[in-house]
Amino acid sequence: MPPIIDVKDLCKDFRTFRRREGVWGAVQNLFVRDRITVRAVDRVSFSIERGEMVGYIGANGAGKSTTIKMLTGILVPTSGRIIANGFVPYRDRRKYTKELGVVFGQRTQLWWDIAVVESFKLLKEIYEISDHDYRQRLGVFSEILSVKDYLYTPVRKLSLGERMRCDLAAALLHNPPLLFLDEPTIGLDVVAKDHIREFLKEVNRVSRTTVLLTTHDLSDIEELCSRIIIIDRGKTLFDGQLADMKARHARYNQVKFLLKDRSQVGRLGEVTNDGVSCNRLDELTYVMRFDRAKHSTAEVIRSLVNRLEVKDIFVEEEPIEEIVKRIYITGGLSA
Amino acid sequence: MTSAPLALPSLPTRNRSAAAQQALVYAEFVRVGFINTLAYRLRYYTGIVTYFIYVSVYYFIWKAIYAHSQRIEGFDFGQILTYIAVGWMIRSFYYNNIDQDLAEQVVEGKLAMDLIKPVNVQAMYLARALGESAFRLILLTLPTVIILFTVYPLRPPRSVVHFLAFFLSSSLSFFIVAGINFAVGTLAIRLKSILGLLRAKYFLLELFSGLLIPISFFPHAFQAAFAYMPFQYISYIPVLIYLGKLNGVFILRALGIQFFWVVALISLGDGMWRWSSRRITIQGG
Repeated sequence: MPPIIDVKDLCKDFRTFRRREGVWGAVQNLFVRDRITVRAVDRVSFSIERGEMVGYIGANGAGKSTTIKMLTGILVPTSGRIIANGFVPYRDRRKYTKELGVVFGQRTQLWWDIAVVESFKLLKEIYEISDHDYRQRLGVFSEILSVKDYLYTPVRKLSLGERMRCDLAAALLHNPPLLFLDEPTIGLDVVAKDHIREFLKEVNRVSRTTVLLTTHDLSDIEELCSRIIIIDRGKTLFDGQLADMKARHARYNQVKFLLKDRSQVGRLGEVTNDGVSCNRLDELTYVMRFDRAKHSTAEVIRSLVNRLEVKDIFVEEEPIEEIVKRIYITGGLSA
Repeated sequence: MTSAPLALPSLPTRNRSAAAQQALVYAEFVRVGFINTLAYRLRYYTGIVTYFIYVSVYYFIWKAIYAHSQRIEGFDFGQILTYIAVGWMIRSFYYNNIDQDLAEQVVEGKLAMDLIKPVNVQAMYLARALGESAFRLILLTLPTVIILFTVYPLRPPRSVVHFLAFFLSSSLSFFIVAGINFAVGTLAIRLKSILGLLRAKYFLLELFSGLLIPISFFPHAFQAAFAYMPFQYISYIPVLIYLGKLNGVFILRALGIQFFWVVALISLGDGMWRWSSRRITIQGG
């Protein structure tokens, strides 16, 4: 089976105008404008198999939203090729979007002033959903996402978390094989985030829905995606399994420990040496960070328990944020 | 009747059941446009007052103008008063804000949400506006008609046939205005900020449609030029039919030209959309 998304050498340029500074500059701007071309997406290639859940991440302005907008058929690529679900998104927009679910976390596709259920009814007609499927799916969403409570509430009266649940339900009402989520958890509290993640996992498991999601919250990725694509300044920096990324790019391990009592604090200096740093988390909890290439975890722990009286020890991997940050800085070159 | 021009751009050569399904989709947009307007009920109550004030202002202006003459350009005072009042009555349902809606979607970066739906964007905007106009017909036009007829000595339509033709004609006005507004609105995609342009269009439309002054009051050169433009078919022509200043075959001819403009303007909007949509950039995120 061919991949559900196949992207090859995708580029997107935006033309904009350079604005001159100052009053005289503003006057000049009225008559002559300098055109400049900004390349937002630069020769990005990847393919995604049916049923995969892929995290597409990058800093602000990295080009991830632009990519998503080309993948959804909203923007026309400057060059390169996209085949998604058998369609060329911008060219076959109407046929393609019929089998597509999209959620933009910062916007809503629901009608702002009317009850949520009216938007759902509209979608039922747009996507030609049968009565049976409509009732059944609404039933499922009501249960898992508990949207039932707000079906008759206008969208403007919903909280962000409630609205996001309804938007997700709206995007999946026609059971699309392909789902794009652009920052689906932005601004949500922990409980709401968890709700949405569980729901997405369930959808992916039951319907084998392919999901591509962008996010700034890397815990979304850890919870949901086995594969991650990192983009920065329009270029792909990493594309692979999350575990691979950790294996290749994680440089530090962490040992968190709890001292037995205060008397031990003064002796902390004894455990920090070449390549091992120690930071305070609270009164008795500290974390040591060390280069995996220079020290083994066992050796660090041995020296710790030999010198200090320690109550608890936790070994941790380097947080994914740190790894990703390093990939941004080094441009994806392996350490 | 009303859904036929709507379906024009979106239904080239499809089988009937698919066409029926398409019609159903846009009918659903009409319905949602209708109930969405419910949220703004209050705006229409104030609208009734506004329309009454407009007509009252023109009542006094024309009264002053007619103080020294019985007839101007073939209109006596009763006719000119009816002309103005009926013009505003039909305006209360044929106008729409498709141009502003589209411009706002572009500026706020919401156009993306229109594009992720498997629908013809123009037909969707037209259908929503139609739903809103249907709502206004009941909540704004009807009360305005009752109040204006009660307060001012307005003439009834020339005959039942004239009234029916007038009703059909002013329904077509909706599609002419909607066609113009969508086409103008698409300019926002390339130009981004078109508020000034929209404002200019607004005043031009009020003047050239004959809402403020009958077209026959304009200099002859203007009148000749207007004959080749769609604007006078928005207000001037429907009201002339109401007053019985157009009769028989001239009514049919006027309706035919109106229908031509509906098709032409919707095609223009469709072309403008195709021309612009490749250049969409979504602002903000």
